[in-house]
Amino acid sequence: MTRLKLTPLKLTGAAVALLLSTSGLWAQEDPFADAVETRHGLMLQMASDLGKIGAMVKGEVAYDSAAAAKAAANVAAVASVISLEQFPAGSEVGKSADSFAKAELWATPDDFLGKLADLNTAAATLVAGAGTDLDTAKAGLGMVGKACAACHETYRQPEG
Amino acid sequence: MGRFFRRLLALGIFAAAAGWFLTAPTLRDTQAAEALTPDPVHGETIFWASGCASCHAAAGAKGEDAKLLSGGQKFATAFGTFLAPNISPSKEGIGDWTTAQFIHAVQDGVLPDGSHEYPAMPYVAYAKMSDQDIVDLKAFIDGLPPSDVASLPHDVGFPFNIRRSLGGWKLLFGNPAYVLTGTMTPEVERGRYIAEAMAHCGECHTPRNALGGLDTAKWLGGGVIDGTAKVPNVTPGGLDWSEADILNYLTTGATPDFDFVGGAMAHVVDNMGHLPESDVRALVAYLKAVPPVSP
Repeated sequence: MTRLKLTPLKLTGAAVALLLSTSGLWAQEDPFADAVETRHGLMLQMASDLGKIGAMVKGEVAYDSAAAAKAAANVAAVASVISLEQFPAGSEVGKSADSFAKAELWATPDDFLGKLADLNTAAATLVAGAGTDLDTAKAGLGMVGKACAACHETYRQPEG
Repeated sequence: MGRFFRRLLALGIFAAAAGWFLTAPTLRDTQAAEALTPDPVHGETIFWASGCASCHAAAGAKGEDAKLLSGGQKFATAFGTFLAPNISPSKEGIGDWTTAQFIHAVQDGVLPDGSHEYPAMPYVAYAKMSDQDIVDLKAFIDGLPPSDVASLPHDVGFPFNIRRSLGGWKLLFGNPAYVLTGTMTPEVERGRYIAEAMAHCGECHTPRNALGGLDTAKWLGGGVIDGTAKVPNVTPGGLDWSEADILNYLTTGATPDFDFVGGAMAHVVDNMGHLPESDVRALVAYLKAVPPVSP
């Protein structure tokens, strides 16, 4: 039986192996990081386009029919992408870094998908009216906002 | 020695009598209000402006569902958990109440049986409402669907479960005077009526002291609800949004970043949707006029 000799080289190797394995463990502990980042990106893109129409409604910039129509089309496009794919089971607040999604979302997925369908309906209304005039754009924006809030109210953990 | 204890006893009895006297419910004169002709259509605007459904309807109720005032929502506080009672026009609710009883409950914080209400009900704010608005509100609620759901008791521990002690609370913190005073434009004055008398913004947005009284020196400077949830400072010292931003938020629920928030404020946004835009603009003007509280 040969005794294991701890040489500096072996020690370094062990340290590297330990580092690799723990970093691997970290990656394994949060398998939802990509999904959470993706859904946040989708939300930010939607907020950016809603903000363009919102600035017109608030009177910060002049109403621009073409720009409003383009922003509305983007909102509808992004809304159509959102699905349970970016909300995999387990990617809830406390279990995945940066997640604010409440566990209730996966307890009642049909309700979540229903609210998502409402968002797409509202987005379609926005697309239909955003380029018409400011008042129609404002009404469509209001509908989308209600759909956003309905889901956030039920399934998003408030900050602070 | 005997004389000393007799004096102490006399003093004790006097203090108890004075305490009993001071904590007795005080009721306002309702004659003028009872003589008015109620307008239930205007009462609906008062109903939404005052946020009745946000607490007295089922949790998360929207639209027509929010008009069924069956109660049952729970409010966790440092003093215990309060359960919103049924205030629908039924036997279990307030269907049998006279106009005077309604006014005392809403504006004096005194129930028909003569007991004090807990200040979870914002009667200190409602105390400032006009007689006409109050009778209009009652007329609107009287026309809503009845609910037979029994009101549940509050879950409050000693000593807060002694309702008489609320008389002392009212002496300390029940001053219904407006917080914003001085000269102001008619628009700010209208906003003050909406914010301080009806919408009771201060109940959540103003910090409370150890006894649950509002710290009016830090009016709208930010508070805490449900034990831990932080409510933001909405004075010019804490909120740097433009008037257009605040108006947009109160009418659509969108922050300047176009995030749409949930929580209790989502109810407020829904409620504000029932008000004429001039009223929401007045509220914005008021928020810009309140003294800034540093963060």
